[in-house]
Amino acid sequence: MEFLQQLVNGLSLGALYALIAVGYTVVYGIIQLINFAHGEVFMIGAFGALSTWLIIGSANDNLSLWLLPVMLLGGAIASVGVALLMERYAYRPLRNAPRLAPLITAIGVSIFLQELVRLFYGEVPGFPDAKRAIPFPQIDYVTGPAINVGGLVIQRAALFTLIALVICSIILFIFINRSRLGRAMQATSQDPDTSRLMGINVDRIIMLAFAIGAALAAVAGLAWGLRYTNIDFRMGFVAGLKAFTAAVLGGIGNIAGAVVGGLVIGVVEAMATAYIPGRFGGSAWKDVWAFVILILVLVFRPQGLLGSRVVDRA
Amino acid sequence: MTPQSRLLNPETQHRLHPTGRLIALLGGLLLVVSPFLAWAYSSAALDDMTVYGYPSPIQFFCLALGVILLGLVAASWRVKGGRFQVGWVRGAKAAGTGVLIFMILIIGVIALELGGLVNVLWGGWIAFLGAIAAFIGTRLMAAEDRLPTLERATLPAWLEILAIAVVMGAVLFAAAYALNLDDGGGFVIFLTFVGTVIAVMLRIGAMGWFSAVSRRHRQVLILAAFVVAFAFPFTQQGSDANMSIATQVIIFAATAMGLNIVVGLAGLLDLGYIAFLGAGAFTAAILSESAFSTVDWHPPFIVTILISGGVAATLGLIIGSPTLRVSGDYLAIVTLAFGEIFRITMNNLDGTDGPLLTNGSNGIPGIPGFNLFGFEFDDPHTVLGIPLGRFSNYYFLLLIFLAFVILVFTRLNNSRIGRGWVAIREDEKAAEAMGVNTFGLKLFAFASGAFLAGMAGAIKAHADISVTPDQFVFLESAFLLAAIVLGGMGTVLGVLVGATLLKLLPEKLRFVSEYRLLAFGLLLILMMRFRPEGLIPSQRRQLEFHEEDEELAERIEEEVEETGALKGAGAL
Repeated sequence: MEFLQQLVNGLSLGALYALIAVGYTVVYGIIQLINFAHGEVFMIGAFGALSTWLIIGSANDNLSLWLLPVMLLGGAIASVGVALLMERYAYRPLRNAPRLAPLITAIGVSIFLQELVRLFYGEVPGFPDAKRAIPFPQIDYVTGPAINVGGLVIQRAALFTLIALVICSIILFIFINRSRLGRAMQATSQDPDTSRLMGINVDRIIMLAFAIGAALAAVAGLAWGLRYTNIDFRMGFVAGLKAFTAAVLGGIGNIAGAVVGGLVIGVVEAMATAYIPGRFGGSAWKDVWAFVILILVLVFRPQGLLGSRVVDRA
Repeated sequence: MTPQSRLLNPETQHRLHPTGRLIALLGGLLLVVSPFLAWAYSSAALDDMTVYGYPSPIQFFCLALGVILLGLVAASWRVKGGRFQVGWVRGAKAAGTGVLIFMILIIGVIALELGGLVNVLWGGWIAFLGAIAAFIGTRLMAAEDRLPTLERATLPAWLEILAIAVVMGAVLFAAAYALNLDDGGGFVIFLTFVGTVIAVMLRIGAMGWFSAVSRRHRQVLILAAFVVAFAFPFTQQGSDANMSIATQVIIFAATAMGLNIVVGLAGLLDLGYIAFLGAGAFTAAILSESAFSTVDWHPPFIVTILISGGVAATLGLIIGSPTLRVSGDYLAIVTLAFGEIFRITMNNLDGTDGPLLTNGSNGIPGIPGFNLFGFEFDDPHTVLGIPLGRFSNYYFLLLIFLAFVILVFTRLNNSRIGRGWVAIREDEKAAEAMGVNTFGLKLFAFASGAFLAGMAGAIKAHADISVTPDQFVFLESAFLLAAIVLGGMGTVLGVLVGATLLKLLPEKLRFVSEYRLLAFGLLLILMMRFRPEGLIPSQRRQLEFHEEDEELAERIEEEVEETGALKGAGAL
C-alpha cells in the first residue's frame, strides 16, 4: 500500500514535469534549440492564472469551479504571449548564429523574466508583492479534502494534474497527427528546407511550436499552484531543469517520450525520497535524483527511452 | 548608416562645415571658461562646485574635454597629418557627443541630489550651453573621407615605450581615482569622461596606433601592465575597503579567465562553473586550520591549492566524460544541473542529511590566512613606509595567480591544442574527420578550466575567511558568463574589462543594485543580438559571428597580410 501510495504521488508529480517537458521537446524537434527559458514560461503561466483570479475572482471571494477554465485561459494567454515575444525578438534573429548564441540568449531571457516578475508584479495595483511566495487561490472540488480509495490517499489537485495531462496528451496527439497544421509541424521537424519548398510557412510553424509548449506550461503552472498552494518567481528554475531531464530521458524531440519521461522522473523522485535508506534518503536530496538520472541517461542511452527522431547534431 | 548621417547627408555637411566649426569652437570656449564659474548652489552634490575661479575635479574634467574639443577642431582646420590620415573631425564628433552626455549627467545629478533644477547656477548652464553647441557644431562638420591610418605611423622605440608608460600611468590614476569616488553619480560621470576620452582616441586613430605599438612592444606592455597593477595598493594609503573590492574583482576576473578557456576557446557552454570554484573553496576550507574544519590533516598552502585544483578537475572529468560525447547542448544543461547538485550536496553534508563534511548551510567560517614561507597573509605590512592592509597581501597573491591563468590561456590558445579547439568550434565533424581528437580536447578544456577554478576557489576561501554553500548559486555562473560575453569571448583584455565592469559597477552603483539582475539578463540578450563578439572582440570571433560580412572579412584579411599573422586573434 505504501508502494502504491508513492506511485500515485510520483505519477501526479510526474504529470507536472511531463506537461512542461512537452514544451522543450516540441521546440527542440523543430529548430534544435534548447529553450532554456521554458521554465520561466511555466512560471509566467502560473502568474497569469493568479492574475486572472485577482482581477475577476477575488473581489467576491468566488471560488467556484467555473473559475478554473477562466484562470487557465488567462495563464495560457500570458505564457503564450511571452513565449511568442521571446521567439520573435530573442531567438529568431539568431537562427543562423553559432550554437552558443541562442543558449546564452536563453539564459538572459530566463534571468530577465524572473527579475521582471520579482520586481514589477507587485507594482501593479491590487497585485501582491512577488518577492515572496504568493498564496494561490484554492478552488473547491480541486483542492478540497483528499479522496480516500481503499486506504490510498489521493489529493484532488494530484488527480486534477493527471486528468489534465491525459486530456492534453489526447488533444495534442490528435492535433499533431490529424490536423493539417500538425502534419506541417511533423514535416518541418523532419526537413525544414523541403517543407518550405512544399509551401509550409516555417516561421509560423516555429511560432506554433512555442505556443503549444507555452499553453501546456500554463496548464502545468495552474496545476502547480493548486497542488503546492503557493507560487513564486523562482519556481520555473528547478521545475524546468527536471522537465528538461524528462524530455532527454524520453528522447528529446519525441512528444510521447516527453510524457513518459516526465512520469518516470516523477515516480523515481517519489520512490527515491521514500525508499533510499539512511542519510541519503528524505526530502533534503529529492532534487538531486532527477539530475543523477540525466547524467546516467547521457552515459548509457543518449537517444532516450523511446529514441528521438532528430539526428544528433553534435 | 547612423540616423544623424541620414539626417545630415555628406552634402549638407560639406556646405555647413565652416558654420559647424564656428559653433563647435564657440562651444569649446564656453566649456573651457565655465569650469572657473560656480555651477551649483550647494557643495552637497558631487564635489564642491560653488567656488568661482578655481575648478573642482569634476569641473576640471569638463575643462579637459573642452580643451580636447578645441584642439581637435583647430587641428582639423590647419594641421595635416603628413603621410598619415588623422581622424580629427571624427574625434571631434566623438568629443561633442561625449561632452553632451557628460553635462546632461552633471546637471541631472545636481538636480536630483539638491532637489530641482533651480540649484544649477548660471555657470553650470553656460557649460551646458557649451556642450550643446559642441554637439551641434561637430555634427554639422564633415568627417574626413578616408578612415584614419595612424596605426601605420612609427616612432623611435623609446618614444613608443614612453607612450605605453604614459597610458599605463593614466590607467593607474583613473583606477585609483574611480575607486575612491564613493557616490554613484560621480562614478558614472567619471566613467563617462573616461569613455569619451577613449572614444576620441579611437576615432582619431590613436587607439589603432597604440594597439600597433603594443603589438610591437608586447613584453614592455605586459610588464607595464603588471607594474601598474602591483603599484595599485600603494595608492590606497593602507585603506582596506577599496583593496577588498579590488581583491573581489581579481578573483572574479581570474575565474572568468578560467571559464574563458572553456567557453571562449573550446566553445563549450559551462553553466555550472561556479561549482568548481566552490569545490576548490570547500576543499581549501576543510583542509585549513579553521576550528570548524572537519578533517584532521592541514597541509601547507602549496599542497592545499594543488589539491583544491585537483578535486575540481576530478569533478570536471566525472561530469565531462559522459556529456562531452553527446551534442554540445546537453553540456549546458548537465553543467547547470551539476551546479545545483553541488550546492544541494554542500548544504546536506552537515551530519544529519549526510556525512559531516561542510557543516551544511553554515559552511566553514574562521578560515585563517595563508602562511607562505613564514609570510603571514592576514597581517598588515609596511613597505617603503606605505602601509598595506590584509587585503593587499591577497591582492598580490591573486595578481600572480591571474598572471598564471592568463599565461595558461595564451599558451593554450597559440598551441596545437588551441587550433584544435578552433576547429571544433567551427565544425566539429570536419575537425574529427581531419584527425582532431575532439573528445579528448574538449575534455581537456573542461578539466583544465575546472582545475584553474579550483585553485582560484582555494585562494578565495582564505581571502573571504568563510565559505558557505549559498556563495555558489547559479546566478554567479551566469555573471561569469556575462563577463565573458560582455568583454569578448576568447580574449584576455576583453574578459578582464568585462569582469572589472561587472564587478565594480554594482559596488559603486548601490542605488541600482535592485535592478542589477534585470540589467544582466537584458545585457546577455542584447549583446547576443547586436554585438555577440563582445566589446573588445578577437578578430577571429568577429568573423565567426558575422560570416556574411564580406567587408569585415576583407578588412581583417588586409590586416593579416600586413602584420603577418592573426596576432590579434587570440590575446592582446
